[in-house]
Amino acid sequence: MSTALFERRAVISGIGQSAIGRRVDRSGFQLTLDAIEAAVADAGLTLDDIDGMAMFPGGGAANLPGYANGNLYEIQDALRITTTWRQGLVEGMSLPFYGPAQAVATGQARHVVIWRSVKEGSAARRAGGRPAYGAAKPAAEGPMAWLLPLGMLSPVCHVAPYMTRYMHEFGVTREQLAWLPVTQRAHAALNPDAVYRTPLTVEDYLGARMISTPISLYDCDVPADGATAIVVSAAETAPGLRAPVRIEAMAGVVEGRPSWEQWEDMGRVGHGAARAMWARTDLRQSDVDAAQLYDGFSIEAVWWLEAMGFCGVGEAGAFLEGGKRIALDGELPLNTWGGQLSGGRLHAGFGHTAEAVRQLRGEAGDRQVPGCEVVAVTNVGGFEAGAALLTRW
Amino acid sequence: MNPVAGVPPVVTEETEPFWSAAAEGRLVVEGCTACGAESFPPRGICRQCRSRATEPVEITSQGTVYSFTVNHQRWVPDLEVPFAIVLVEFPGHPGVRVVGRLRGCPPEDAAIGMPVDVGFEPGPGGFAIPSFVASGTPS
Repeated sequence: MSTALFERRAVISGIGQSAIGRRVDRSGFQLTLDAIEAAVADAGLTLDDIDGMAMFPGGGAANLPGYANGNLYEIQDALRITTTWRQGLVEGMSLPFYGPAQAVATGQARHVVIWRSVKEGSAARRAGGRPAYGAAKPAAEGPMAWLLPLGMLSPVCHVAPYMTRYMHEFGVTREQLAWLPVTQRAHAALNPDAVYRTPLTVEDYLGARMISTPISLYDCDVPADGATAIVVSAAETAPGLRAPVRIEAMAGVVEGRPSWEQWEDMGRVGHGAARAMWARTDLRQSDVDAAQLYDGFSIEAVWWLEAMGFCGVGEAGAFLEGGKRIALDGELPLNTWGGQLSGGRLHAGFGHTAEAVRQLRGEAGDRQVPGCEVVAVTNVGGFEAGAALLTRW
Repeated sequence: MNPVAGVPPVVTEETEPFWSAAAEGRLVVEGCTACGAESFPPRGICRQCRSRATEPVEITSQGTVYSFTVNHQRWVPDLEVPFAIVLVEFPGHPGVRVVGRLRGCPPEDAAIGMPVDVGFEPGPGGFAIPSFVASGTPS
């Protein structure tokens, strides 16, 4: 196995999650501890083996209620861990395991845990709806200074113009795109931890209200409470781990203008990251057994289908229509856990990574894709794009 | 007068000329005195040649809608909805895209490619925010 690529010198060794739900009556701090303990045990390690820590977001940046939980300093103190590598000041990574993989590949740590803990479900309930910008900070800084004063008080408004432009350029219809959330909801029915599990039909989707056109209710992910932790270990430790998963290739690319309203070509997102990732592997699209493509909004997973080359640019509508290709028994099972649309907004690729690992280990229960050996994982989109292939050990 | 719902911007040294001109109903972008290119938002550096010798430049010409969204969600209690947001580019001014409200037509009439005129409207915190006017309508 070539170790010239740094990601080949790292493995994902553990995943763990707290209770996940629309509203979990447990603090974000406790959820974080739950997830970390579960992930470390899942790896076959103890907390004393952990020598690296990271979290998303870094710096405790709270931009929306319930967004940031489990402060790095406090969690480290609570767990009595000594670190030789930490990354708590990074917001917007390409993929959760990117920094930790660099740490173990360079020998700065052997076992790194990274977490993402959200309490946005509870925050939404308190706010009487999905939280909006403005509650946490009274004035808009940086790139948000151009958006929030206009009343674009939610990421829905920032992403919607991409969907407008995409549908306009390629003639893709809502009737076609409906199959993405509809099919993912069917997958969520097989995931006992998913937030939304009741069937969703195309008619339900089309009849639901618009939030910010053309993003409608079921194009949005569901706010949730839950923590996800991932352990990344040096590949040489694999023989002592319970069930490691290989990182075949990964890349994160910030190309174009890193500001929602300034992205030059809103019909194409993530192509640079995908291209960089494919250049690091001999595997090709036809080798991929399942895809966990970021779906904070349904259009984001559509971006990724095209950027990753699973279909051509502008062809995702036809690819999705009927829901057969992306079903569990289709050519490209998509977001087999229900994604963030139905599984819950665990955010920043953490839920997608956890599901990819479960599928590769054969531990995905009723939603297991048979013979799953290669899974694609992608994160966010636009200027925070990250893409990876994980493979069975 | 009721304050406009929303979050006002933090003004920086680089963006102060924009917000001051906005209060006067003028759209200024960042012009480069070295190469002539225009940039937006203003960052005190030309995005084309990286010269620091920039100055405010006013745009008065008609713009074209690159994309848009019509927001229906009342994100905060006093937010009046629905309203249209347009992303506007200007023929002859490559490198500039400005996002703003749209007025002068029903929000659902927003369309990619429609011409709009520069304008502003009262925003939160006493700031004037970009508010483009559907062309053909008195501003």
